[in-house]
Amino acid sequence: MTTARRPLRRILVANRGEIAVRIIRASRELGIEAIQAYSEADRDSLAVHLADGSICIGPPPSSQSYLKGDLMIDAARAAKADAIHPGYGFLSENSAFAQACEDANIAFIGPPARAIALMGDKTTARRMAAKAGVPITPGSLGTVSDAKTAREAAALIGYPVLLKATAGGGGRGMRVVRNGEELPARFADAAREAQGAFGDGGLYVEKFLARVRHVEIQVLCDGRTILHLGERDCSVQRRNQKLVEESPSPALDDAVRARMCDAAVRVCREVDYRSAGTMEFILDPASGAFYFMEMNTRVQVEHPVTEAVTGVDIVKAQIRVAQGELLPFTQDSVRLNGHAIECRINAEDPARDFTPSPGQVRGLRLPGGPGIRIDSHLFEGYRIPPYYDSLIAKLIAWGRDRDEAIARMRRALSEMRIEGVHTTLPFHTRLLDDARFRAGDIHTRFVEDELMEVA
Amino acid sequence: MAHDNLTYDDLLRIVELIKSSEQFSEFRLKIGEIEVELRRRQVADGSRIVAPTAAAEALLSAPPAAAPEASDLIPAHDPTAPVATTWASEAIVIRAPMVGTFYRAPDPGAPPFVKIGQVVEPDTIVCIIEVMKLMNSIRAGERGVVAQTLVDDGSMVETGAPLIVLDAAPASS
Repeated sequence: MTTARRPLRRILVANRGEIAVRIIRASRELGIEAIQAYSEADRDSLAVHLADGSICIGPPPSSQSYLKGDLMIDAARAAKADAIHPGYGFLSENSAFAQACEDANIAFIGPPARAIALMGDKTTARRMAAKAGVPITPGSLGTVSDAKTAREAAALIGYPVLLKATAGGGGRGMRVVRNGEELPARFADAAREAQGAFGDGGLYVEKFLARVRHVEIQVLCDGRTILHLGERDCSVQRRNQKLVEESPSPALDDAVRARMCDAAVRVCREVDYRSAGTMEFILDPASGAFYFMEMNTRVQVEHPVTEAVTGVDIVKAQIRVAQGELLPFTQDSVRLNGHAIECRINAEDPARDFTPSPGQVRGLRLPGGPGIRIDSHLFEGYRIPPYYDSLIAKLIAWGRDRDEAIARMRRALSEMRIEGVHTTLPFHTRLLDDARFRAGDIHTRFVEDELMEVA
Repeated sequence: MAHDNLTYDDLLRIVELIKSSEQFSEFRLKIGEIEVELRRRQVADGSRIVAPTAAAEALLSAPPAAAPEASDLIPAHDPTAPVATTWASEAIVIRAPMVGTFYRAPDPGAPPFVKIGQVVEPDTIVCIIEVMKLMNSIRAGERGVVAQTLVDDGSMVETGAPLIVLDAAPASS
C-alpha cells in the first residue's frame, strides 16, 4: 500500500505542551506551516507563540477542547490546514477521529484509521499479536462489561490482576487488584479515569506480573517498508507512569533484542501499519521471556531517546510518511549509537507523594552542554495550568556508553532550576545516584516498592 | 487556492466562518510579514460579535500593524471569584486541599457523593478534586450534617476554597 505523494503546506497542531512545540519544530524544519489549536487555558503558551498561527478551540477542560474531534476538523478547515498532527494522548488514538480526517480530506499524521481501530483498542491488539505468533500476557480476551464479569475473569487468571483501559495509554485507567473484594472499587476508579482521559470507560483484565521490566520497540512504516529503531527500557515507573526511559535497555541481550524487534515488525505487518508506532512488551529479565502488552499508535513521550541513539527524527518521519514519502533508509542502516536517557520533569512534589503542583514558573535555568537536549514548553512567568498532565520538560542525555549518559544526566540535573512550582528534579537526582539504578538492576515496581520506601 | 497569497475574499470567508461558528473565539494567522488576528468579543447583552482587529485591516493596506494586546478577550472563568455565601461560625467548612476541578459525583450523571441533610463521618468521601488528570477523593475530615454545597460541579477551585458546609451532627448512638 503506497499513498500518492501529497506535499503538506500547513499542519494543525491538535495538542498542547511540549509535544506541540516538538511538532511545530519538525514542521518548521520541513518548511511546513504550523497552526496551533489551543484552549483558553493555553492562550499564553510557548506553542501559541512559536506557531505560524493559532486558533482557540474552546474552554480549558480537554473534554470541551482538545478531545473534540469535530472542533479540530472545523479548526483545520478554518485555518486552511491540509493536515492534523494529534501528538500523544487526546485524539491521537481515536480511530473515529482519524477516519473523520480522512473523510474531510485532511491528512491525519499517524496510522490509517483501520490500524488505530485494530491496535488502539487494547483487547483487539492482543488478538492481533497472538495471530502474528507473538506471546501475550494471560488475560481476558475482550472488554469486561462490569465489575462482576471482571471478577469472573480475574478468578480464572488468578490474582493479582491488572485492570486496564482498552482505549488506554500513559498508565491512565489502570489499577492493580490483589483480591476479589477490592475489585469493584478499583474497577469503578479505573473506569472513571479511563472515561475522563479517553472518553471510553471500557476495561480489560490481565495477569499482573511482578519484578518485570517494561521494554518497548519503536517502529516506523512507510506503507512499503517496516523498520524498527531498537528498544527503549521504561522500567522506572510510578503507578504505571513512566519517569525515566533509556535506550538501549541494560537488560536486553542481542538474541532477545532480535526476537523482540522481529515480533514488533510481525505485528505491524499483520495490521498494515503505517507511520510511527510503539510495541510495548513485558520482559522477564531472568528468563528472557517477553509478552506483548499493547501498541501505541502514535508518537511516544519518550521518542527523543530513540532519536538520540539512531539519529532518526521520528516526528519528521511521521510527517514525511503522511506526505506519501518513502523512508530514506533501510533496516541495515539503522544503528544504535551510544546510550541515551530521558528524565521526565513533572510539576509534582516527590516529597509529598508526587502531588501535582500547578502554578507560575518564577525562575528557570535550563542545562546545556555536550549531549544534552531539552524538550519543554516552559518559560519564565509561564503559568502551568491545572487542567492537563504534569509533564513540563523532558531532559535527554546522550553518552558514548551508559556510564557517560548517566554522568551527563546527573550533571544536567544539577544545573537545572525551576522555581515557583515543585518538580520531580529531586527525585531524578536521587534515582541517578542509586546504586541499583546505576547497575541497571531494577523492575517496574522499583520506585514504589524500594526507592521511595526509605525516605 | 495557494496558501501564500491570501486574498481579501479568503479573509472574508474566514471572518464568516468565525462569525457563524459558535465554537471559535479567536484566530491568528501569520503569512510572511502579514498577521491576521480575529477575536470575538463578549458584549454586554451576552451576544457575541466578530471584530476584525487592526492587524486584519492592515492586510488590506500594508505595512502591517502590530497585533493588539489581548485585553478584551472572552472572560475566562475566574477561579478566584469569591463565593457569596455565609455560614454560621460554629459550622464546619470543608476546604479544598489543592487547586483543581471540583466534582460532586463520581461520574457524570451519577448521584452526588453527599446530599443536603446527610450525616457524614470523617472518612466519608464528599467530592473529587481533579488536578492534572489526577482524581483526588476528598473526605469530610469531621463528623457532621451536610448543610450546603458552595461550588458548582465542574468548576475550578483554589487551595483553601470553601467547598461544603457541615452543621454539627447529633451525637452518635
